[in-house]
Amino acid sequence: MKAYSKVLLILTGAWLPVALIILWWNVSADSSNPFFPPLSVIWQQFTTIWFSDQFVINAVPSLRNLLIGYAIAVVVGLVLGAYIGASRTLGSYIEPVADFIRSIPPVATVPIFIVIFGLGMQMRIAAISVSALFPILLATIQAVRSTDRVLLDTTKTMRLTPSQVLWRVRMPAGLPMIFSGLQLGLQVAFIVTIASEYLGAGFGMGAFTLIAADSFMILDAWTGVILMGLLGYGINLIFDVVQRIMLSWYVGQKKLA
Amino acid sequence: MTTISTEGSRKSVFALIPPAVVSTLVSLAIWQLAATVGPISESSIPTATATVATLAAMMFEGETYALIGETFVMAGIGFLLSVVIAVPAGFAIGLSRFAYRSTKFTFDFFKVIPPIVLIPITILVLGPSMQMGIFLIVFTNVFALAIQTSYGVRDTDPVLLETLRLYRLGLAKQILYARLPTALPFIAVGLRLAAAASLIVAVVAGLLGGAPGLGNAILTSQSSGNSERTFAIVLLLGVLGVAVSRAIQWSQARIVFWESR
Repeated sequence: MKAYSKVLLILTGAWLPVALIILWWNVSADSSNPFFPPLSVIWQQFTTIWFSDQFVINAVPSLRNLLIGYAIAVVVGLVLGAYIGASRTLGSYIEPVADFIRSIPPVATVPIFIVIFGLGMQMRIAAISVSALFPILLATIQAVRSTDRVLLDTTKTMRLTPSQVLWRVRMPAGLPMIFSGLQLGLQVAFIVTIASEYLGAGFGMGAFTLIAADSFMILDAWTGVILMGLLGYGINLIFDVVQRIMLSWYVGQKKLA
Repeated sequence: MTTISTEGSRKSVFALIPPAVVSTLVSLAIWQLAATVGPISESSIPTATATVATLAAMMFEGETYALIGETFVMAGIGFLLSVVIAVPAGFAIGLSRFAYRSTKFTFDFFKVIPPIVLIPITILVLGPSMQMGIFLIVFTNVFALAIQTSYGVRDTDPVLLETLRLYRLGLAKQILYARLPTALPFIAVGLRLAAAASLIVAVVAGLLGGAPGLGNAILTSQSSGNSERTFAIVLLLGVLGVAVSRAIQWSQARIVFWESR
């Protein structure tokens, strides 16, 4: 009975995307509009381009930059955020500036990094890590600051050192909030990865797609858009899985409450 | 004794300056230093003073306000269109369990696709225009806003719904007395996020897609090597971003007043 209803639930969620793809496939089948080639042709081109070494040439560098930039942002954001969050004075000085920088659309900061670092890989990683840093930093500050009073009082009776309290009690307790910052940071990192490729000359899947569009290679541009869309979705999916595993204790706790 | 008292008074004078002012000045000083000495100063990074001066001069130019206007008009039209499409759609979806479950996966999928990936195709189809920016804004907002609205509609207290059904009140009354009041705070949260996103995407569409406004002004200033102006516009975007988020908080506290603690 339970398995049956689960299958039914999946079927209800799946019919619409399947129908949309079939609709797109059929409506575009004999399209002569140069901007909207038949989906069958797009798909064929997609497999020839991205199921080959083109993926290694164009998509892998993008993903590598994303990963390096994001990793830097996570480490710096968590460590700085923990200490700033633990100190009221430090927070009152740093938060206004961090809040201001976060208010700038992340993509708009890419030209600043181009002015400083030029068009190379250094610029891309700097832009990605700095943009992803602020959502993570601010969420971590907030998370450390909002530790439960009772929990904090309990640590006092246990004679934990301040650093033990911060890293063993306050940070783990703040994980649900920290994860929302980490997710936002990852989304920003992905967006800035592509923006840095649109603006910087040369390699990467963003550059590939924009150059294809500029030179009216519309099929190639469509395959690039689809690849970036799928990767954007896939990265979020991976994050969701990691989050669910890391926060399983929290979900269990909420169910008990 | 005397030293202690002077130190005490010095401390109180220092404490009078708000931390935000101190940290802003320190940040500007670090920027100034980095732009004059050290490895970064080799690049064409402008100094903090030159950038602030450029920004101040820009505030006396009519063109600046035209650029701000274009960005806000684009964001505003995109935002309104998103609301007109997504709120009724989300409301209708929320009323039917089948519709909700059918659309959930598809909407969640499109919700996380960043609009930036569509730019190459939208430039081709719509050209580097305001329409392109508006399209990107609507694409960014509709799915999230519809999902948020349908959450709100579905959150209605089942006991309340049963009661209304017992009194044989029709769907219209059910919506008016139960669904709408429950959904409004959810919709308000969705609107707040959509308003902020609209401004961001309007800038992005200008910077990467050639739509008019501040984003485009960054691109033109950067490609003409006017780095003071590039930095000044980015600073201006920060100021506008803070102003918009304050305005949204202010209006939300007044519109959904029964929800604000």
